[in-house]
Amino acid sequence: MLTIEGFKQALRHAQSEIEANKDTLTDLDRAIGDGDHGINMSRGFDAVVAILDDEYASLGELSKTVGMTLMSKVGGAAGPLYGSAFVKAAPKFGDATEADFALVKEALEEGTAAIKARGKSTAGQKTMVDVWEPFLDGLSESDDFTSKLDHLVNETEGMVATKGRASYFGENSRGTIDPGALSSSIVLKAIMKEVD
Amino acid sequence: MKEMAPAVPIHLASGLEDGSIGTDVTRILEAIETVDKEALILSDIGSATMNAELAIDMYEGDKNIKFYDGPIVESAFVAAVSSGNGMGLDQIMEQLKMT
Repeated sequence: MLTIEGFKQALRHAQSEIEANKDTLTDLDRAIGDGDHGINMSRGFDAVVAILDDEYASLGELSKTVGMTLMSKVGGAAGPLYGSAFVKAAPKFGDATEADFALVKEALEEGTAAIKARGKSTAGQKTMVDVWEPFLDGLSESDDFTSKLDHLVNETEGMVATKGRASYFGENSRGTIDPGALSSSIVLKAIMKEVD
Repeated sequence: MKEMAPAVPIHLASGLEDGSIGTDVTRILEAIETVDKEALILSDIGSATMNAELAIDMYEGDKNIKFYDGPIVESAFVAAVSSGNGMGLDQIMEQLKMT
């Protein structure tokens, strides 16, 4: 079950993991982007942690507030993408104060749809979609979430980017893990850890 | 733009609160608040474009706000001069699509 407290814990955990991987995210983004993903995600999740001291009546309310915070604080493309994911997941959580695996999965599927719509992207373009969509596809409660996510992140290494800043690198984008895929795995791992 | 179309109001909604590089959708929404009836949003690349589209989706008022996805310098000149010549937003959008 994901409780409000568990969701908050997941976001705090995501923040500390992003902080720990800040340089890696920035280095990956420097190789095939504009080198600000670590800094942007860190700024965004620092702002998210700051809103967690408030009381929330439902998972939906918390998810929406997290999304709005990310939208305005991240600064790069990750802001509208992650922000839209949490905002669009919010109605799925609704007034619920706890969510079982099935509801969390549905909410994350809404988030995936929001990321795809906002970024006008589909799977296979070497973006965060390549983690969100295949991760949720056929996901069952007994799966090893961490190894599935790690595998998907590594899969982006061999892809050629056709969306986002990395697409300007064309064939040269092959051989580098997508930074958005890595940050997505960090956020999704943190959430799934609290669902158990 | 100020030389060619001095009467056309242009708002800057780029950068973050602390002055660093990037785009903040709330700054775009604030800029929308300051306009009279209609406005054209232009962006450069990446997150600016995504945030402009997001701002339009989030805006709930009844002003006519449009986004044009094109080269920012050229588009800004066409839009500013057209606006200075008395064209409305919908006409300017048509104008931009032709250039």
